[in-house]
Amino acid sequence: MAALGGRGRAAVGLLLRAPGTGATPTPGAAPRRHRHKEKWAATAPRIPSTRLALHHFDTSYSLHLGALWPSVRAGLLCEQKYGALLNNFAAADHVPEELELLNATDFISEALQKVQQWQRGAAVGEAATGCQEGSGEGRTGMQAEIVAQAEMSSPLCTSISSKIKCYTFPRGDITRFRPARPDGLGLLDYYLMDAASLLPVLALDVQPDDFVLDLCAAPGGKTLALLQTGFCGHLAANDVSVSRTKRLYQILQSYVPKEVRDTVSVTSYDGRDWDQVKGGTFHKVLVDVPCTTDRHSAMEEDNNIFHRRRTKERQMLPMLQLQLLMAGILAARPGGAVLYSTCSLSPLQNECVVERALDVAQAQFNISIHPEDLSHFRTLFQDTFSFFSECRLGELVLPHLTANFGPMYFCKLRRE
Amino acid sequence: MAGRLKLPLLLLRGPGRALGPGRALPAAPGPGSRRGCGELAALRAMGFSQEQARRLQALQPRLGPEHREAAAAQLLLLGLSAEAALALLERSPALLRLPTERLRERAEELRRLGLDGGRLQRALSRCPQLFHVPRRRLEAAVRLLRERCLFTAEQLREVLGTCPAVLLEEPSTLHHQFQYAYFRMGVQQKEMVKARLFQMPFAELRNRHIFLERRGLYETPHKGQTQISNPKLKDILQLPEKDFLASLAYSTREEFEVFKKLLAREEEEKEEEEDEDALYTEDDDDDDDDLDRDESKTARE
Repeated sequence: MAALGGRGRAAVGLLLRAPGTGATPTPGAAPRRHRHKEKWAATAPRIPSTRLALHHFDTSYSLHLGALWPSVRAGLLCEQKYGALLNNFAAADHVPEELELLNATDFISEALQKVQQWQRGAAVGEAATGCQEGSGEGRTGMQAEIVAQAEMSSPLCTSISSKIKCYTFPRGDITRFRPARPDGLGLLDYYLMDAASLLPVLALDVQPDDFVLDLCAAPGGKTLALLQTGFCGHLAANDVSVSRTKRLYQILQSYVPKEVRDTVSVTSYDGRDWDQVKGGTFHKVLVDVPCTTDRHSAMEEDNNIFHRRRTKERQMLPMLQLQLLMAGILAARPGGAVLYSTCSLSPLQNECVVERALDVAQAQFNISIHPEDLSHFRTLFQDTFSFFSECRLGELVLPHLTANFGPMYFCKLRRE
Repeated sequence: MAGRLKLPLLLLRGPGRALGPGRALPAAPGPGSRRGCGELAALRAMGFSQEQARRLQALQPRLGPEHREAAAAQLLLLGLSAEAALALLERSPALLRLPTERLRERAEELRRLGLDGGRLQRALSRCPQLFHVPRRRLEAAVRLLRERCLFTAEQLREVLGTCPAVLLEEPSTLHHQFQYAYFRMGVQQKEMVKARLFQMPFAELRNRHIFLERRGLYETPHKGQTQISNPKLKDILQLPEKDFLASLAYSTREEFEVFKKLLAREEEEKEEEEDEDALYTEDDDDDDDDLDRDESKTARE
């Protein structure tokens, strides 16, 4: 192996650079700075956390997603796709035009146009069948479908006519957005984020003057989106982490004018205690819980929850998520809506947590709460996102190379 | 039937080549005879048809006929058929400028390296560049394959026979591709030879491999840790893209196209990063020589 080993440094370079291989360098072939110093090391060279994460995902998700898993896995390991959330508070009217020239479109208004087309189609269909009824002919299958879709999406119509605008490049287009720029007053023109993160906010369907609670608000993308609706009577943005709350402040400073910032109260409670602070007062509650952040865990070593020293923390996640969701439910007023979301593919952190919460709410607190159907989201946004069609509860955006957003799980609950 | 007999005569005359009336017997070449006739005769004598001889004459018309004849003769001696020799010269008329001694020597060298008989003819026909490439490059490539990559003599012969273009490559490029297959994909020499590793451009190899790897369908083997059995290199390299996608990657063309774009961008940005790093890194505890360092830079994937 000597001849091959002479080039060993380069060879090990080949091994070490690849994500998802996690190869341990063969001793003797590695460059000096990578060989573990036998005198000092107490343990063998570590397997990177990203490797541990991927191994964990391979085991659980191949079962859950079946034949879809290879595509999702490749999506996780490649550069993610971003959307540009327009900042309605900035003086940036030129931006939509600029983005459209690049072939990007606002996926939300596109979906809205689709709904209007269906409704027009349904209206035409109804008029037509009105004439035909006399002759005994029923509706055609196609017309029935259009009507059904229009009926399904009319609840959505109101929510997606909100002022949230987010530009994305078409399927298969990997163009990147330029960095955000400030307007004359120093407010940035857009915020780059995973476009799938907007779906929970859209589903929450904030109405004018709603009291809104964002229980785990940092770093602040969804919080910013909530503010873009212009409907938040008051927004309580909470996060247990003080350092991440700093980032939230920065975002508010950079994007939101003072008069709107005054309607936001930023707090640093442990979200699980929220019900003790203000129970039953919010119209809308967003519970975007800490999770295994699958995409981050597969790609970044830093702060990776699959690191051995965080095993306990990771195993306790579903419990923490349940507690946060319960707090959110208790903070919602009767008739209010609670939106649970994660950026993980794991059913243990998704459906299972929601199902458990529904049981606990009923059994322990005598609160009736039921999930709301969001399947029309799949139809509306299928051109932009890749959805999993087999969720027994809630919806799941899957990463896919042609639409590399997500993972994003979201489920809407309505308190009675 | 009578009409048909006339046609070949017209062909022999060729378009626009009026050879004059009564020219039926080939004239012996001499200082006074028309150049065209003499050469044509010589070429015909070697075994070229009238049409082939004419095509040969059309190449590099300013060159003396001796060159053409000598080059053609040499190629025929190597065992190429008249048509193959002609095709080769048409593809690469620059060969006519090489001294015939060079043609002969190069053929000898290649034979010594293991390209013989049919393999030599095929190699030369496909890669006329083999005649032009400097000898040192040839030797460096072979040395690399034998001494660094540890191909056996028999394997080397096979490689040269199936991928003669390796002799034209920069040794460092070859080495990089070899190391990628050996370390990164965990493939042994025997499999590389069977799969005709060097026939595929490196970028395409990497695209297919990393696509499989990120989908979880290929794993760099480690002693005692390998979970899955990797698809054979032969299949990865030799299946046409459609079949590769359908039966190995279980994916669609659309997905693969986007992946290739993303990977290309990743590589581009990695190289830029490395260039920047190279400006700033200090050489720490290296006792390797300069050649090693240069090579390892290019050899990084």
